[in-house]
Amino acid sequence: MLNSISYFSGVLPILAFILFYKRNKVGGYWVIFLYSILSFLTDTGYWNPWIKAHSFYLFSGFTIVEYSLFAYFLYLSLLERKFKILLVICSALFYLIALFTIVAKNRESFDSLSASLEASLLILYSILYLYEQIKDPAILFVYQSKKFWIVIAFLLYLSSTLFLFIYATTFSSQQHKSYWGINNIFDIIKNLLFVVSFGMKKNKQPEQSLENFYSEES
Amino acid sequence: MLFFGTIGMLALTIGLIVFIIFHQRKVIRYQLRLQRMEQDQQKLLLNASIRLQEEERQRIAADLHDDAGPLLATARLYLNENLVNLDKTTQLQSIYNAKSIIDDTIQLIRNISHSLMPPTLKNFGLESAVNDLFQKISGSGSMNASSRFHDYRERLQAENELIIFRVIQELVNNILKHSNASFIHLTQNTSGNKFFIRLHHDGRGITQNDFIKLNKSNVGLGLKNIQSRLKVLHGKIFFEKDMSQTYYKVTIELVKEEEDKLQEQE
Repeated sequence: MLNSISYFSGVLPILAFILFYKRNKVGGYWVIFLYSILSFLTDTGYWNPWIKAHSFYLFSGFTIVEYSLFAYFLYLSLLERKFKILLVICSALFYLIALFTIVAKNRESFDSLSASLEASLLILYSILYLYEQIKDPAILFVYQSKKFWIVIAFLLYLSSTLFLFIYATTFSSQQHKSYWGINNIFDIIKNLLFVVSFGMKKNKQPEQSLENFYSEES
Repeated sequence: MLFFGTIGMLALTIGLIVFIIFHQRKVIRYQLRLQRMEQDQQKLLLNASIRLQEEERQRIAADLHDDAGPLLATARLYLNENLVNLDKTTQLQSIYNAKSIIDDTIQLIRNISHSLMPPTLKNFGLESAVNDLFQKISGSGSMNASSRFHDYRERLQAENELIIFRVIQELVNNILKHSNASFIHLTQNTSGNKFFIRLHHDGRGITQNDFIKLNKSNVGLGLKNIQSRLKVLHGKIFFEKDMSQTYYKVTIELVKEEEDKLQEQE
């Protein structure tokens, strides 16, 4: 049941992007749209018995694609050059390790090392992005930014699944079934947050002035 | 381990999000407070400038009403007498009296007009006007005043010269009124694109902290006026005590490029 909800929730960001295309055509949101499509197609492909039999390649390939797309989105969103350089260096290391695990043919059903490394690196980039946002005095309300919600979606999804990915290779199939619910729940949350982000108007600062905002609030 | 790890990571992430949101709101509140303080300060400066303008108007009105008015009325009386009295000698005498009163009035009006815009400043520039002012002070015998312009080959824009002159006048007035100094010395020089005017005196003075305090309070109208005038030129002013602790020093700093920009805008 949860599996199905998680699967079908993958359609929501795709629909939201198409529906609010005008709001999302600039700012690198197409990367997230592309990710949503690939994620949905990967989940769909998993129903196919032949692909399921080769799921190691499917998941390993998807981990690399997922990392590439999220990292690219964060690369576009980061402002400071030193953070961008760090992202590029870490990405090179990630690709080396991920390719090594594929070539080494340690074909477990899940590539735990690459997935946990991916989650750790993306969490790091997300924190760097948020740090930049709170440092910038020009940004009045960070939560009114579309990118903020996308990064929060990554952060929640990746931080909740990090330990799951680390321990994935040690699971029995029964444990796998029971624990994989965590991934499904946060996959749904991630998709919903993408919908929120795609539905939001362009990074709009409050129409009212700061002064009015607080005087009304108090 | 998996359960605790996941819960821990989630708690950290949610904590981070909550921290970011609250931190940002705190920063915004702080910025808002700064903004309000700045607005209050500007309001004070504006009030000071309006009050000073009103005082200046009242002074001119009083000069005209108390001095020029009675003089002209007396001249009118003499001329009236001329119409009534047909005796030639008396007529000549009253015309002479009226003429001398009108001369006095002209002089009085000239003085008022000079106090509004010193002709030396308009015709010969800041250096001459300051030298003129300092010569008058020295001439009074109460204080030794001297000035030296090291690098003033090109005059500043006329409006800006007037603003700087008014600031110097205000500073000198303050020194004369409050400091009990025996000398004032003014120097001008430039360094790169910066234009400096420094005033030294050996009396009682104020430091930058006093200046800031006075600017925030309701007293110190003249200082607020200096501040608001310099704001127009994007200039700065520093009040300090000399290293030797003997003299007080006031430095006015202006950026020459700002001056050029203002010129271009006009």
